[in-house]
Amino acid sequence: MALGTILLVSTLAAPTAFFAACFFPSLRSAALAWQWLAPIPALLAAIVALANGPFDLEAPALKLSLRLDLPVAMVLAASALLWIAVGAGAFLGRGERPEPRVAVSWLLTMIGSLGVFVADDLLSFYLVYALASIPAYGMFAFDPSPATQRAGRVYMAFAILGEAFLLFGFGMLAAAEPHGGVRIPDVVAALPDSPWRDAALPLLIAGFGAKMGLVPLNGWMPLSYAATPIPAAAVLSGAGVKAGVIGLIRFLPLGAPLAGWGEALAVIGFATTFYGVAVGVTQQNPKAVLAYSSVSQMGVIAAALGMALAADNPDAPSIVAFYAANHVLVKGALFLTVGTFAARESRRTAWTVLAIALALSLAGLPFTGGALAKAASKPLFAGGLAASLAWASSAGSALLMLHFSARLPHAVEYDETTSPARLVRSWPLTAAGALFLPYLLFPFVGAFGDAFSLSKILDGLWPVLAGGLLALGLARYANRLPHIPTGDTLVAGEGAFDRSLASGAAFDQVDAVFRRWPAAGLTLLAIVLALAYAMV
Amino acid sequence: MTPTETTTPGGALLVLAILLPSVGILLSFALGSRAAERIALGSAAIALIVALAILAEVSRTGRPIVYAIAGLSPPLGIALRADGVSTVLLLTSALIVPAAGLYARAGFGTPSNARDSRKAFTFWIMLQAVSAALAIIFVSSDLFNLYVALELLTFAAVPLACVEGRAETFAAALRYLLFALFGSIFYLLGAALLYGAFGTLDIALLAQRMRPLPAVTAAAALMTAGLLAKTALFPLHLWLPPAHANAPPPASAVLSGLVVKGSFFLTVRLWFYVLPTLPAIGFDVILGALGSAAVMFGSVLALRQARLKLLIAYSTIAQIGYLFLIFPLGSGLHPWAADGWNGGLMQVLAHAFAKAAMFLAAGLLYESLGHDKIADFSGAARAMPMAFLTLGLAGLSLMGLPPSGGFAAKWLLLRASVSSGQWIWALVLLLGGLLAAGYVYRILAPALSDAAVVLKAPPRRTGEAIALTLAIVAVALGFAPESFFELLDIGRPALTTAGLP
Repeated sequence: MALGTILLVSTLAAPTAFFAACFFPSLRSAALAWQWLAPIPALLAAIVALANGPFDLEAPALKLSLRLDLPVAMVLAASALLWIAVGAGAFLGRGERPEPRVAVSWLLTMIGSLGVFVADDLLSFYLVYALASIPAYGMFAFDPSPATQRAGRVYMAFAILGEAFLLFGFGMLAAAEPHGGVRIPDVVAALPDSPWRDAALPLLIAGFGAKMGLVPLNGWMPLSYAATPIPAAAVLSGAGVKAGVIGLIRFLPLGAPLAGWGEALAVIGFATTFYGVAVGVTQQNPKAVLAYSSVSQMGVIAAALGMALAADNPDAPSIVAFYAANHVLVKGALFLTVGTFAARESRRTAWTVLAIALALSLAGLPFTGGALAKAASKPLFAGGLAASLAWASSAGSALLMLHFSARLPHAVEYDETTSPARLVRSWPLTAAGALFLPYLLFPFVGAFGDAFSLSKILDGLWPVLAGGLLALGLARYANRLPHIPTGDTLVAGEGAFDRSLASGAAFDQVDAVFRRWPAAGLTLLAIVLALAYAMV
Repeated sequence: MTPTETTTPGGALLVLAILLPSVGILLSFALGSRAAERIALGSAAIALIVALAILAEVSRTGRPIVYAIAGLSPPLGIALRADGVSTVLLLTSALIVPAAGLYARAGFGTPSNARDSRKAFTFWIMLQAVSAALAIIFVSSDLFNLYVALELLTFAAVPLACVEGRAETFAAALRYLLFALFGSIFYLLGAALLYGAFGTLDIALLAQRMRPLPAVTAAAALMTAGLLAKTALFPLHLWLPPAHANAPPPASAVLSGLVVKGSFFLTVRLWFYVLPTLPAIGFDVILGALGSAAVMFGSVLALRQARLKLLIAYSTIAQIGYLFLIFPLGSGLHPWAADGWNGGLMQVLAHAFAKAAMFLAAGLLYESLGHDKIADFSGAARAMPMAFLTLGLAGLSLMGLPPSGGFAAKWLLLRASVSSGQWIWALVLLLGGLLAAGYVYRILAPALSDAAVVLKAPPRRTGEAIALTLAIVAVALGFAPESFFELLDIGRPALTTAGLP
């Protein structure tokens, strides 16, 4: 296991070393330009974990424990690969390189994004989770245009709000652990019998849900992806968002059936799934459409986890992780697709076909990685209603992704859709990789013979065809669709927030009162009396 | 535990910690501002060594070190005593004072061709007086002795606040002085009542003789209220924003980072060391509630300030609020009280370093931009990356995001409030963190955006390095190992009095 342990440490140590190198002026530009190599140990660690089983490491002196097990290794492999592929494209081209402070933000986000897969105690997890969220601000929000500043503000507000939910939830987890330990498996094992269980679970769901864009905490996602440059959007939507998914996988007590909470999460998940489709089809910016597709897909994952929590399915973590790994690759590649189509003057038919196949992979188009993900997740949606909803969600995805394909030729009309030349040139390879690399991971969750039976292929085909029909209908009534602003409910939230700012004036008045001498003197006396009264 | 405290090995270090700045003040008076600067910085360097030696001795023996002045133990004589908390606070003061001093050389230095200036003279003497007063407060175990130190602290802090000599700083300082005097009177009255009731003012003896008498009730209420006034706990904060926001940056750093902690520390001494056996049910809730109100009001008002220094001053009011959660969360013999105690003290340290760093960074911004209007910071981060990095790192601690001392404090307090079932304080911690994120965002976001900015003067490299170092310490506190918290527990009364009824 020595190799595994070394790789586990290097998963965090390698990108951290690149970050440390930034403090030396002579090394800085090289460290930033070559940072796309930093996730290689993470990729290797994931591969070794997949081949040899889980490994972990405890360093009590550093208050740090790390662990990499099979379900998580699948998502880590996909995420590390995405960081490497997109990073290489973004940083190798000399003229198009992001400026240093953006590159540093990129690096910090990468450390956090890789770290959430391996951190195994509450405090380390909270640290890397914050790293995966907060520095990402710098990947898109330095532009002074009002739209970007607004997106940055909203992004930050949701990130901090999610952190607060999680901190509260983590506090309850730690308080319930009988031996005062903070290792995640220990605190989660103590959760089902914890007196704070019914307070901790909603906080965890809200905290991770904010990162995943679960309704009603979804508004930040389309807003910030629309403002984010293509390479950053690819890694954030692919790898970054999975911090929330991994959080749910790690922190939900999936071994103990909790029917009520499982069903609640499933309801939130399905609601998010269909909400994402419904709002997504009204969007014109292809990046916003992709963001709503992410919302919808994260809803599927939340629903799957909810069903698993209710029914105590031991395979759920692996299945959900495989689904998430597929989404890492496909969503990352789809954002690169936007950049590619914004860059090409003449588009080849073959490329359009490839783009549509990639898009429909999310709906489970047969023979794509997405079809494998749908086939694998099927056992989680056993039973009448859940199976029907899962079927309908695939049809909805097909609809949304066909809408995306239709909007793709207009990509050039929108801000932040240009992509570095290398990413454009290598796009066919990236897209093919995203379509078929999930085949390598599939043996961990299912059997090919089963997945390629005729009935399974037809199972996968029907929702896509249904989505196609819906898309035809949508095209007919496109001009009658309501106009929903990007960010949907968030816009109302912003209005309420602005109005609440007006109440700050009342605080000024209170301050003015207490800053007058008579008031301050009386307060002092009142405090004396109150304290004396409390002691009598 | 015997009531008589006799000198332990290393006890003389405590005398040194107090005498050093006092001798420095006398020498400075005699030799003028040029020498005062050198004496202040030199004695600060020695004070740091002394503080480290005390730390080494306390952590080596695992027990408080004691010095009985003139060999007389209380009640006849006066004892000096350094437990884990006082040791750590001594070190904090011994780090922040020289940092402020080195930073201040640019503004309060006396160039070789210039004559001695009254401004510089005042600054360097008062800086030493602050560190003398704090040293006495941290190691003294006699309530009258502490009164004298508290007065010295006020009389040193007020001139620091108005050393620039502008009209508005005088008004602010006068306000500060008057309110602090009210506080002193209340404290003194309370101390007199205790002396009347028990015939001693030694903390350990008082704790032993403590009985629930009416005089004790009155004394505790008066002394606490007086100390709250000096700590500027909301709603007794009227003097703080103008005094801290108008003082020169190194003075603000000391005032906000250290001086308010002096009277807070005395409040802790009073309730945890003198009165812990008293059946006072509601006082901790009152102090916690006032602290919570401070967190909310201070943070919201910080969000509304147009000037950076005022924002930072209101943020101090909010952060002081967190300190008072130590009373509901750190008292008693409950298993969670250790978390509350450690969390409250970690907040003292984290805020001391973070706030000092912020005021120094704000000073650098003022020097280079010629203003401290937040609305006009657009693009300034590109021109002054170090100053904004300092604000960002210190802000991380104020928000309570990891890795930082502020996060460690918040985590411990949060865990204590969940374990003890006192939910309300957990909500205060989280809401306060969100509001802090809001005001830190307000400083940083416009500065980080791409816009052109013209500097009046390039930032001072040494000033930047000092401010950044303080901010890094605030962040590094987040990595404090378990042994650090064991150090804080040395001499903690809940542990030593565990056998008492």
